[in-house]
Amino acid sequence: MTHIIIQGLLLSGLYALIAVGFTMIFSVGRVLNLAYGVYIMLGGYIYFQCVQVWHLPKAVGFVMAVAAGVAFAVATYQLLVRRLENNPVAVEISTLILAVVMQALIVMIYGAASRTMWPLVNGVWRIEGVAVTYNILIATVASWFILGGLMWFVHKTHLGRAIMAVSMDRKGAMVSGIDPRRISLITWAISGGLGAIAGVFFATYTQLDPSMWVGPLIIAVAVVVIGGIGSIVGSLIVAHLIGFMETITTSLLAAELRGVFTMLLIIIVLIVTPKGLFGREEL
Amino acid sequence: MLSDPGMRKYLVGWALFGVALLLFPQVATSGTLRIFIFANFIAIFAMSWDILSGRTGYISFGHPFLIGIAAYTSAMLTYHLQTPLYFSIPLGVIATMVGGTLFFLPALRIRGTYFALVTLAFMELMYQLTQVMRPDITGGTRGLSGLPTLLTGALPNYYLSSAVMFVIAFCLWLLIRTRLGTALSAISMDEDAVKSSGLDTTKLKLFAFMVSAFVAGVGGTLYVHYLGSIAPRAIFDINFLFTILIAALLGGASTIIGPIMGAFFLTFLLEYLRPYIPGTERYFIYGSIALIVYVLEPKGLHHIIQRLYGALMRGKQA
Repeated sequence: MTHIIIQGLLLSGLYALIAVGFTMIFSVGRVLNLAYGVYIMLGGYIYFQCVQVWHLPKAVGFVMAVAAGVAFAVATYQLLVRRLENNPVAVEISTLILAVVMQALIVMIYGAASRTMWPLVNGVWRIEGVAVTYNILIATVASWFILGGLMWFVHKTHLGRAIMAVSMDRKGAMVSGIDPRRISLITWAISGGLGAIAGVFFATYTQLDPSMWVGPLIIAVAVVVIGGIGSIVGSLIVAHLIGFMETITTSLLAAELRGVFTMLLIIIVLIVTPKGLFGREEL
Repeated sequence: MLSDPGMRKYLVGWALFGVALLLFPQVATSGTLRIFIFANFIAIFAMSWDILSGRTGYISFGHPFLIGIAAYTSAMLTYHLQTPLYFSIPLGVIATMVGGTLFFLPALRIRGTYFALVTLAFMELMYQLTQVMRPDITGGTRGLSGLPTLLTGALPNYYLSSAVMFVIAFCLWLLIRTRLGTALSAISMDEDAVKSSGLDTTKLKLFAFMVSAFVAGVGGTLYVHYLGSIAPRAIFDINFLFTILIAALLGGASTIIGPIMGAFFLTFLLEYLRPYIPGTERYFIYGSIALIVYVLEPKGLHHIIQRLYGALMRGKQA
């Protein structure tokens, strides 16, 4: 029991971080960025390149990973999404193509085999007979701090409130002098950075693999779909729902069934309440 | 119908296409034929996608789900029960149409982005279920191999796949020229308007889904009995979805001819690049070209060629 709670909390923290960047783009631009998984993958691989190939300090690797995520997200927005902004389906299709192209690029550079990432911090912590690696613990605590910081940013700063305003009412925001394109660009940049950070943690938690973008993308999609076009808090709740569901399935049923329930939940929620459990908007 | 000169021109085009397919083996090596067989299958899948998503605007990200049901049904029947192919293939097609109905249920309530997501979830669900549920029947992660093949050799398989592709293409092309086809494409423009003009959109959508599932079923069963093996990663895969989607979109969605052009263009692009770039880099170039064409001209190659042809004709007149 303790073991499920601890593992569930740790996994959910990571999932919340993975999902939040994806949710932000969706709530501001009403588009699903299926290339979001690429930022996660890019974060992992850039960190790997810096730290394990070039033997740079871990902090440098981290900064480089975030910079790459931000740069790639800004490029996605400027070169692709802006041209197709009034057509959400075209954005979805083109970002999906982009993700597959990036996967091919990763295979080109690093090969198709998976790589193991060294943990950020070595060591194991034992509580109540449950072994928790410092690595996943650090990842979760960092996730909470980042999410807390993001909440503060969105609610308390001028820029953050402008992002909120655009996500609530684009025209209204324009009337009050906010440039929604600039806000979208900033949101994409933040999303790319968050994705890259999540990617470093996710890669140390699992491993580096050219198709590692699919899993986190599905988790992010599930959080958005189940949570509806919600706030950061909504994403947090659903991330915990999925995290705990997966932990319970893994420890009580079978590890392979983990994803099955997430998929079923997506399908059922979309069919029964297309607006999601905490949704507040039309499609 | 035949008196219409525009129609006659199209029919001549189809006849030429058919003759070209028939004569092609005279000039091709068996290696080229194998590439053609693959292109034919991709064309069939892309047309199946097109009649549903290109026409009605309900974008399916889960077509591998339908193809996979067909392929797995027939594969498991022949592998475990030694069902003859002439029996297992129709059963596979029927199973796909039942699966298509399952696919259809979400479309009653949701559209656009959300529909695409549900279909993607269907595909991922099947990917995981085939590995976990009863791996003794589905073959688990490794899949099933040593399945009976319908025909052996490149030439017979070329003729079979070409014939099936041609017949499906011609039938679908006739279908979209009827009033039914017009009603289906009207759904993609404004579903509520179609409904308020007295048409039953639910029936229309169900029809498009069934046709799409039927084509996917025929393609999927023949494909698995051409390959002789099946595995979850080869079917329920984003890369497979990507190939189908790109063929349809690059060629030109909602045109039937476009997806065939897209499938052939892409398959030959991949093969043409092979001597110069032997490795996985080809997929990078392939995807990049598809992305650039899609962003610059979302209507695809079909539209570009039509425009060039139009410009050429105007040039002649002037």
